[in-house]
Amino acid sequence: MVSDEVLRTHLQELRRGTIVVASLVALRRPDYGYALLQRLAAHGFAVDANTLYPLLRRLEEQGLLTSEWNTEESRPRKFYRTSDDGERVLGRLLDDLTAVQTSVTQLIEGVGR
Amino acid sequence: MSSLTDRYVAATLRTVPAPRRAELAEELRASIADMIDDRTAGGQDHGSAEREVLTEMGNPEQLAARYSDRTLQLIGPRYYLLWWRVLRTLLTWIPAIVGVVTGVVKATVGGEPGAAIGAGIASALQTAVQIAFWVTLSFAVLERTRAPLGLPEWTVDQLPEETHERQISQPDSVASVVFLLGTVGVLVGQHFQHWAGGDGSRLPVLDPALWSFWLPALIAVLLATVGLEVAKYRSGRWTWPLVAVNALLNLAFAAPVVWLLLTDRLLNPDLIERFAWLREGGADDVARIAVVVTVVVAGWDVIDSAVKAVRAGRR
Repeated sequence: MVSDEVLRTHLQELRRGTIVVASLVALRRPDYGYALLQRLAAHGFAVDANTLYPLLRRLEEQGLLTSEWNTEESRPRKFYRTSDDGERVLGRLLDDLTAVQTSVTQLIEGVGR
Repeated sequence: MSSLTDRYVAATLRTVPAPRRAELAEELRASIADMIDDRTAGGQDHGSAEREVLTEMGNPEQLAARYSDRTLQLIGPRYYLLWWRVLRTLLTWIPAIVGVVTGVVKATVGGEPGAAIGAGIASALQTAVQIAFWVTLSFAVLERTRAPLGLPEWTVDQLPEETHERQISQPDSVASVVFLLGTVGVLVGQHFQHWAGGDGSRLPVLDPALWSFWLPALIAVLLATVGLEVAKYRSGRWTWPLVAVNALLNLAFAAPVVWLLLTDRLLNPDLIERFAWLREGGADDVARIAVVVTVVVAGWDVIDSAVKAVRAGRR
């Protein structure tokens, strides 16, 4: 039996890129950092706050997200939204994710035969 | 007193580039407040919720590094191998050479042979520390500036010739070179040594008359042997031409030494004059022992090199 440590590292590797995909999908509906964190967690994307917040800013710098301050509520919050560029990149990422899934399925069937 | 959150935000912003600070501060503060609210809504008191949230956010310096996309390593995978190679190459030769040169200078020009070894080791260590520091610093700067070095990509042509292990190891070669240069240093140094002490007269161990030809010749042979060591290291193993040169050099060193010893011309006559036990036959004993040692060492070295050449040829 492999150790939990080994398993955890492999799962981490597998999940690393999916947080970007999940964020770009979720932010088609504008949201602020902590709310996004909770939405992602509710959908099975457990991500640490200290990873997600810097990631959002990086995606914003890359032009994949746009942001806007909302001062209407009790405290001012920065809302992020997936930009047009972000949507295009997301499209490519989703295609690739599907391609990987397809390849894995084919591989499994091929080995099974 | 400022709150934990204030202190946390301040600590994070300290190492974030200035233009983004104000906005980042506000966002980070709001995010932390949201997380705390979420916990206090569940009945937790504000103080412990704040502690918990900030603990979850982790070391502010690490968070700041993530915000500014900074590396948290001195030298990353991009430069590590190059750094290690440069460091290894420089540390192999330079400290040893500097140490020997310093020792020789101390013994000859400085006239303090007793302090030569200590001075040599100290300067070799100092040089090694300096090299390690400056090379590492340069690469750490490169890592941070992400300066492209434009180095050629690795190609298969860079693969080492031999697939087996080297017969001639780097430490061995370095030790040999240091020993040879050290011997040259001793030959030169002994001429200036206050060996007899007391009256302060300079009394070399070897006959100063030998400087007219034999000592320079022996030193030349030793230096040629340094060249052989380098050639041997580059080849990685003993080859027959190397064995032949090695035999020749051994002969060129041992034969004159033996001849000088047997004809009582090696030791300084003044030295023999000064010590009773040397006068009364001691010098002959010293000569006989030295002859045997010289012949055995030289013979062994030649046989050893031949055996290794045979072994290298079999592979």
